[in-house]
Amino acid sequence: MMQEEAYVGENTIQESKIQKSTNQENTLQESTIRKNIILESTRQWKDFLSLNLNLDLRKYERNLKRFNRGGLCLFTFFIILALFPALFAPYSPTERFIPYEAPSTAHLLGTNDIGNDILSELVHGARISMMVGFASACISTLIGLMIGLFSGYFRGTLDELLMGFTDVVLIIPKIPLIIILGAFLRPSIWILILVLGLLSWESIARVIRSKTLQIREAGYVKSARCMGFSSFHIMVSDIFPNLFHVLLPKFMLATASAMISEASLSFLGLGDISMKSWGIMLSFAFSRGGFIRDMWWWYLPPGICITLCVMSIALIGFGFEGREKENGKRGVDAE
Amino acid sequence: MREVAKKVFRYAASFLLIVTLNFALPRLMPGDPVKNLIGEDVYVSEAVMEELRTEMGMNRPLYEQFTVYIGDLLRFDLGYSYHLHSPVADILRERIGWTFLFVGVSVLLGAALGTLLGAYAGWKPETKANRLACCGFIALSCTPPYFLALLFLEIFAFKLGLFPFKGFYDVPTPGSIIHHMFLPVTVMALFSASRNFLIMRGSVIQEKGQLYALYARAKGLYDISILFRHVIKNASLPIITLLALDFGFLFSGALFTEIVFSLNGMGTLIYDAIIGKDYPVLQGSFLVIALAVLLANMLADLLYAVADPRVRRPA
Repeated sequence: MMQEEAYVGENTIQESKIQKSTNQENTLQESTIRKNIILESTRQWKDFLSLNLNLDLRKYERNLKRFNRGGLCLFTFFIILALFPALFAPYSPTERFIPYEAPSTAHLLGTNDIGNDILSELVHGARISMMVGFASACISTLIGLMIGLFSGYFRGTLDELLMGFTDVVLIIPKIPLIIILGAFLRPSIWILILVLGLLSWESIARVIRSKTLQIREAGYVKSARCMGFSSFHIMVSDIFPNLFHVLLPKFMLATASAMISEASLSFLGLGDISMKSWGIMLSFAFSRGGFIRDMWWWYLPPGICITLCVMSIALIGFGFEGREKENGKRGVDAE
Repeated sequence: MREVAKKVFRYAASFLLIVTLNFALPRLMPGDPVKNLIGEDVYVSEAVMEELRTEMGMNRPLYEQFTVYIGDLLRFDLGYSYHLHSPVADILRERIGWTFLFVGVSVLLGAALGTLLGAYAGWKPETKANRLACCGFIALSCTPPYFLALLFLEIFAFKLGLFPFKGFYDVPTPGSIIHHMFLPVTVMALFSASRNFLIMRGSVIQEKGQLYALYARAKGLYDISILFRHVIKNASLPIITLLALDFGFLFSGALFTEIVFSLNGMGTLIYDAIIGKDYPVLQGSFLVIALAVLLANMLADLLYAVADPRVRRPA
């Protein structure tokens, strides 16, 4: 820090002495100096954090760099949208204006058939769409983790049974089954989450099982078993932490596919009309005349939002998976 | 041999599970099972309800109902749709041909397109065109199929007027059918290709580092012939599994595409059945789709054994 300041000081002295240097050069130099100062101070700040608070930002940063940047940016944007919709939405999503209005300065994306502001609806829809995705992915990840962990750790008959069951469930086509269930039950967002979660854990279970089979042969698991720790303890504290980096991409991909499924089901009219997700907006735009009246500002934004949001989540998942493969190649397995 | 027995057992179990689900759903769901079996919006008087109840055997014990149900299935009796006033099996028979034609064509096209492009993209992943293709296919695979269908309909049918909006044909000639099917098949093929592309790309990237590829190069083969004569064979194994597993997924995608393009197949049938709460049709459709997916998986297993001799030989 001190050095930088000294450098700055020298520079100003030089400037005053030699006044021939052009303005452009000056600003250029200044900006590089400022950049250096900023870099230096962030470095010190990070040192301070890692020393005093045991919070090693650099480690996170290294991990962050392996993410897909674009995906991460988009994802953060959608998360902020979902957490603080009031910041972005100009009106409440239930407030009513003149229906079927074209985009104007008052309503950036126009209004829909009952006069709600489409932009506000879009912003508020983020929370619902993402909630369905994440909640059902949580359920399916949890089930998949349990089944995969048990069948990989205990092997033998239990493994045969659980994996047999997984294969059997894997074959059943999900969307048609969800359509039937959705038709019998009253459409509600919780049922949707539950059904989506309960029907999409198979691939997670498989991946977790194969990873567990690998890890259980590692030295530290064997020694833990020799020391007499219970199976439960070993699974929780020795195996689970090493499954985490396989689990996370799978979780992201499960979220992505759950969001697509939700959008599809909403399109069929099996969504929860009281909770307007992007899928339901799209479905309404299709069934209530937005499409025939050529109101692109009605049906395009929710569709694009779904695609972008799913893509950002999937990209993050892919990024993790790629990293996992690299690690596998280098032989860095259980970090 | 043991593996084969296991596979057969698993398929049998899946079959049983599907049938049982189909049997149990209307009886487990909240509400009157008779209502659930005939459809909710049908109006029938109390006396008719009672009559139906005894006729369907609702007051008999469950296992008897199950045997009756299995017997009906074996005679291809899937119940009676009170909305459409005809047996469900007849309705399905009418519709399913079109849907299978539609799904079959697009799956094959999608597989061919996705595999070839994916193989090329995996072979030279760093070129700009391949990167662009990769981004494009990722975006495609993240789009809900019906949104893609809507966009295509809007752009090519409404705006440009190149293709008709709806239906399978105006006059039942091959030319008219192809003209009508072009857009929906394109959408589905693109969708299916996007999934195959990503898998194939990864698979080729992995396979091209293997020693046999290096050996082929050492023999002096051209790049293209290494890819198409050696690498592609091994790399396409995951595609076969994926195709089978994806068949159900693509099938459901096809349902949505049919709805958007108003094709008179299973999709529109299911859509109307949901709106009209016509449960027998829904159940029958589910059964048929599930069995189709089951068959596709069996076929894939057989294909896999043909394509990969390692599966046939005992390990």
